[in-house]
Amino acid sequence: MRNGEKTRALPVKRPLMTRKRRQALHGIAYIMPACIIITMFCIVTIFMAIYYSFTEYNMINPPEFVALKNYTKLLSDKAFRSALVNTVKYVVITVPAQVCISLGLAAFLSEKLQNRFGGFARSVMFIPYIVSGIAASAVWDIVFMRNGLINAALGQVGVKGPNWLGDGNLAFLCVCIVAIWKNIGYFLVIYYAGVQGVPRDQHEAATCDGATPLQRFWYITVPSVKPITYMVVTLSIIQSFQIFDVVYQLTYGGPGTSTMTLAYIIYQAAFKDWKMGYACALAVVLLVFVLIVNLIQDLFFKEKTPKKGAGK
Amino acid sequence: MNRTKRRQSMATRAGVVFVAAFMLLCVMPLVYMVLMSLTQSDSPYFKLSDISLDFANYKTILVRNNYTQAILNSAIVAVLACLWTCFISALAGYGFEKKPIPHKELIYKILLATMMIPSQVTLIPLFLIMREINWLNTYAALVIPMAGAFGVMMMRSFMKSVPDVLIEAAQIDGCSEFFIFFKVVLPLVRPATISLTIFTFVATWNSFIWPLVVTNERSRYTLPVALSLLATNFEKNHGLVMAGSTITFLVPFILYCFLQKQFVAGIALGGVKE
Repeated sequence: MRNGEKTRALPVKRPLMTRKRRQALHGIAYIMPACIIITMFCIVTIFMAIYYSFTEYNMINPPEFVALKNYTKLLSDKAFRSALVNTVKYVVITVPAQVCISLGLAAFLSEKLQNRFGGFARSVMFIPYIVSGIAASAVWDIVFMRNGLINAALGQVGVKGPNWLGDGNLAFLCVCIVAIWKNIGYFLVIYYAGVQGVPRDQHEAATCDGATPLQRFWYITVPSVKPITYMVVTLSIIQSFQIFDVVYQLTYGGPGTSTMTLAYIIYQAAFKDWKMGYACALAVVLLVFVLIVNLIQDLFFKEKTPKKGAGK
Repeated sequence: MNRTKRRQSMATRAGVVFVAAFMLLCVMPLVYMVLMSLTQSDSPYFKLSDISLDFANYKTILVRNNYTQAILNSAIVAVLACLWTCFISALAGYGFEKKPIPHKELIYKILLATMMIPSQVTLIPLFLIMREINWLNTYAALVIPMAGAFGVMMMRSFMKSVPDVLIEAAQIDGCSEFFIFFKVVLPLVRPATISLTIFTFVATWNSFIWPLVVTNERSRYTLPVALSLLATNFEKNHGLVMAGSTITFLVPFILYCFLQKQFVAGIALGGVKE
């Protein structure tokens, strides 16, 4: 009886190809919505931005092709030049600051404060990240005001505080401080997870060999979390290039053009002056900048880890 | 030996002090914001006696400045964005991880690459598209572009933990695709869905430049846009502005207090992937 069943089951052909193809079709159906949305809103829009950057378009008349006029105009635009310089300056200040502080804190908390207090510290430091940029700016505005908190504190010790938001360089520093304040917690969480992943025995072996905590940090922790550093640097750069909320609310790009960033002047050109073509040219410049920086960063990280640095 | 030990413990103590100071720096502005919102002060400081628990500023804002509508808008948009993003990302994550799609790694890489693109680059064309299809001042315009490659990446890495055997077993049992996805796979990745929901919620709740651009009617403003307007119009009335800021801050904060683990899990994942 049993044998009979077996022989009857055998000749059933296995439709392997069709099954696989059906699975593939199902798969395509699954990824389709996300692919359509992302293609529409991220990829098509880039090509649109490039197209509009060669036109003059004020949303009343149809776009008029002007070739490279927007780009040549860029070269002589003072606001653009200072926005470019500011953006680079801003990235150069905030990215290393965020990376160093968050990595240092993560390493310290993981090595010395693996207790309730350490956990609480991490929870508290994350809070600024969930504050809306506008609310954060409104609060820090009060802190930085001419008669605000910082100057009051300085007044207590007999120092006459400067006009933080009225001076170009200081206002720029203020924007950096608010942005760093907001972002540290986020990168701390990422780094902390990474530092936890470093094998403890390496640390113990190094301690037995007489390595100081600083040496252990530099020669064990930093190299081990390199892929995470890559990730953090990437995220941090992308975020920094996009700084908008704080500039918009805290300084309005001023005084003068001293805190204008590319993101800010793109908004201004498009939605205050309604020069869509020119704004798109600015956006293309921003995109090229991000890509170049990413390329440099890739080279930098790959050079030192020949195996597989990015982990992507 | 003893001396190095002592020096180390000194360093540790200094570190703890630094950590404590940093924690203070993180919360002080927010504590100040909440306290200030309870005063009627028009200078940047207040005395403790100025604080009164009558919530006068909150009442003023909610009644007079269309804030109730903004809160409602923010809530609707954030909830819809969560549902939308989770749905799309879970579908795509499952497809990418478990299905034999031709060229899928290439497609996946292209999708991930879009995370590099600054939002200001796509802002203007996106605005023009929304204008073309008459979506300005609609919830759809605020919700639909919130889905992105980040959610797909997150969902895919969680889908790795779903055992293939389970899906195959369900297929052999004759379950439909639909049933497998909703009844077998989705329940298994629930933690990821929660993390992604929180992440999307906070991102949408706090997003500023897109709502600023795509809405121009007061009745469609989200909280950050309404707050920005409030802060510009009532620059001198610090109590009022701080009340507005506190309201904006409160919802993500409460969420964070209750769902801290999921918050952190989602973010930590970003760094640890592979």
